[in-house]
Amino acid sequence: MAFFEVYSHPALIRYKTSVCTKATLFAIAVLCLTYIPPLLVAYRSQGFWLKRSTYEEQPVIRFQYQMLLVTATSSRGDYVAWSTYPHLNNLLGSNLRIPMVSAREEDQNQDGKLDLLNLQLELPVSSEEQVYSIQLLLTFSYQLFRMSTVVMQTLAFVQHSSPVPGSQLFVSGDLCLEQRVPLPHRGLHTTYNVSVIDGNSPFASSYDLVNIIGEYQKRNLTTVFSCPSPVWTVGRAAEAPFKISAVVRYPVEVISYRPGFWEMIKLAWIQYVSVLLIFLWVFRRIQDFVYQNQVLPTVPVLPFKQHTA
Amino acid sequence: MSVISSLVPARFLTLTAHLVIVITIFWSRENNVKACLPLQFTEEEYNKEDIKLVIALSVTLGLFFIELAGFFSGVSMFNSSQGLLSLAAHCSASICLSFYVFQKWECWTYWFIFAFCSVLPALVELVLFIAVFGLKKKPL
Repeated sequence: MAFFEVYSHPALIRYKTSVCTKATLFAIAVLCLTYIPPLLVAYRSQGFWLKRSTYEEQPVIRFQYQMLLVTATSSRGDYVAWSTYPHLNNLLGSNLRIPMVSAREEDQNQDGKLDLLNLQLELPVSSEEQVYSIQLLLTFSYQLFRMSTVVMQTLAFVQHSSPVPGSQLFVSGDLCLEQRVPLPHRGLHTTYNVSVIDGNSPFASSYDLVNIIGEYQKRNLTTVFSCPSPVWTVGRAAEAPFKISAVVRYPVEVISYRPGFWEMIKLAWIQYVSVLLIFLWVFRRIQDFVYQNQVLPTVPVLPFKQHTA
Repeated sequence: MSVISSLVPARFLTLTAHLVIVITIFWSRENNVKACLPLQFTEEEYNKEDIKLVIALSVTLGLFFIELAGFFSGVSMFNSSQGLLSLAAHCSASICLSFYVFQKWECWTYWFIFAFCSVLPALVELVLFIAVFGLKKKPL
């Protein structure tokens, strides 16, 4: 008759000792060495506390149909300008030149968020005038929802100048978010939900580009129109208007934020426990060796009764 | 008997490993000394830190002498508690010192390794010396 193992179970052996013994000292040392070093290993290997993280979101951007255009029409410093602000247009006097503007925002992937702005601008220029430079300021409303809710008003600034008079400027680029400090992981942020250009002000200083850009760049959250290659076309027919065509894309942004308490704890716990498991295994083997072989004297209590002879 | 027969060679091996690393650091201590100095340092500052480290390493060698003497003379060769302590201390010292060399730890970290992994077992060894030769106790 062949034997086979029908069932097995581990037997628990208890090792007893009194308080002031080497075995107690050893047990305390093992306890400390098991639970503290994993913390040191996890901490010293960097990234234990997650201070900064990122997420992706496509912002909700709407063009606000407000703009400011300044064009240099001679190399001597003559200019014409136009804006959507009546106070500024009154101040401009004879330098006011009204262009034809058409703007269209498109949602290309039908996800409910607009993806780009198509702007066409035709500025009538007389045959004596030549266009040397363009400064165009567009305002947008910008909203983020996924982690913290951010509502703000932002700018896109297009500036191009050339020593050669042109007939057309074509710009195509992204409206990128610039962050100085990471966003919090929740909450509502409406600090920058104020007009970048104060359209109600009757003073010329409110419409000065230096003031506007200077104030705007002080903010933690700004947008910048990133257009690496503007195209300046030269050779304008007499009486033909100067054309500006702009394509402003609203890309998916990578936004950095400060993680909340539970996200920090979760990642720290994962790191700690995964290192701790190795230490627990190693020290279990060491303790097995020490107690089974009675390296330190203890009293083993066997789980089954000893047969007395 | 089987326990002691495995503890003795294990203790000898970890002692040797620690000794080898300490001797190696004598040659390659430049990086560690630089690690605890600011970016701009004078020759004088460098020498000061360097001498501190050399002293620490030399004292470590002295403590090795005590422990090896106790080990080979039989004072603590078959003492399982001292064997266990020595094994743990020198094993962690070897691991720490290899990190010390590879990761260029600052030179002051050596003092912690020195205190816990060299001084501690050597002190116990001295106690055993006194117990065996001074108090005429039988070595375990």
